[in-house]
Amino acid sequence: MAVETNKLILRVAEVMIDELKLEDVTPPTFSPDIDLVDEVGIDSMDLATVALVLQDEYGIRIDEDDYPKLTTIRLIAEYLENKMQLKT
Amino acid sequence: MKTVSSLLDQEWYERYKRISRLNIRSSIYDVTNRCNLRCRGCFFFSSGEDKAASEETDIRKWEAFIDKEKERGVNLAILIGGEPTLCLDRVEAFYKRLPSFCATNGLIKLPRDRFPDLMVGISIWGDEDDEKTLRGKDTFAISSKNYEGDPNTYYLYTITPRQIGRTERVIKKIQDVGLKVHLQLLSNDESVDGFSWREEEFRDIRDEMDAMLDAYPKTLISSEYYHKIITTGKMMGRSFGWNECPSVTEYFDNRRPPPKRLIHFIRWASDLKTMHRCCTSETRDCTTCKDGAAHMSWVMVNKRAHLRSTQDLQGWIEVYEMFAKLYQFIPW
Repeated sequence: MAVETNKLILRVAEVMIDELKLEDVTPPTFSPDIDLVDEVGIDSMDLATVALVLQDEYGIRIDEDDYPKLTTIRLIAEYLENKMQLKT
Repeated sequence: MKTVSSLLDQEWYERYKRISRLNIRSSIYDVTNRCNLRCRGCFFFSSGEDKAASEETDIRKWEAFIDKEKERGVNLAILIGGEPTLCLDRVEAFYKRLPSFCATNGLIKLPRDRFPDLMVGISIWGDEDDEKTLRGKDTFAISSKNYEGDPNTYYLYTITPRQIGRTERVIKKIQDVGLKVHLQLLSNDESVDGFSWREEEFRDIRDEMDAMLDAYPKTLISSEYYHKIITTGKMMGRSFGWNECPSVTEYFDNRRPPPKRLIHFIRWASDLKTMHRCCTSETRDCTTCKDGAAHMSWVMVNKRAHLRSTQDLQGWIEVYEMFAKLYQFIPW
């Protein structure tokens, strides 16, 4: 499970960097626990952009009502993992 | 990667955190097609938007519509018109269901026993002379009596080119009736003679707006960064216009690449079915649009672009705070 979560964390970080064109950061150096709103300056439109890509990739739905809970990369990865488990 | 806290000291960081999760989702509603004024330069009438849809008159349909808007995620209803206070039952339907803001010319006094804390923005176009020229009367003489000292009311002072060198008197008379004031610039939608801006006038009025903010910091709800954006139409080297405006109705937004925009924003006509293209009229030239809320929103949706420097981020915070105050998300 931990290996899967770590892979997901790296993938979420990668999507976030690519989609939002974040500079001076790579997936391995993107802290999974940094607060995306308070520190990275992500807003709900950014999150919607990232969510669209992740939804397509993992075949799950990320509800807009859940956005306020998705405040770190780790929390997003865990959210995806839970949703995928529910699917199987 | 530049982080927010690395750019701000503790005080600014606390200010940032106070607004960073507000997640404001506004839409605009034409409450009615009617008005008790016919101002020269009013986009609603000059573009024929008053005839774009037949007014829905069944209040139960308004209530059901507003409930659906709430489900859609709207958390700020901006009520315009026509003149919303001509239809208080519709204003009340919004007020009871959603955080709301009522734009008015102030000629009708909103009964505060019915709307105790509804935020009201009263329009004023220049000084008495401009008001008489453009609106047919000095509306301030009436609106200031209706709303004197009201803690949930402010003036939206639309500055015309003729106001250069004359804004202080207007701001002072607003201060004298115990109200606050926010500034925007006339877009002159009907090309009234003498009311179109020349480029050099934008520089002059920007300096004057900054000076007024220094002189009346408790009365003016504004910021120097906002003055810069609205007078230059530039932000981070980009120009305001159709390709950048955040206040385009989602349904009509086919822009590519998609700009940062207000999520789920719609401007609804009073039949509750028709949508207008944007927060003003589609006959307006976007490159010369001076809509204050659109320019504030332009800054607000481009937060990460402002993570370039401390000064840029502080500018963003000030504009966001200004918007949040004007629409009651944070106190004055």
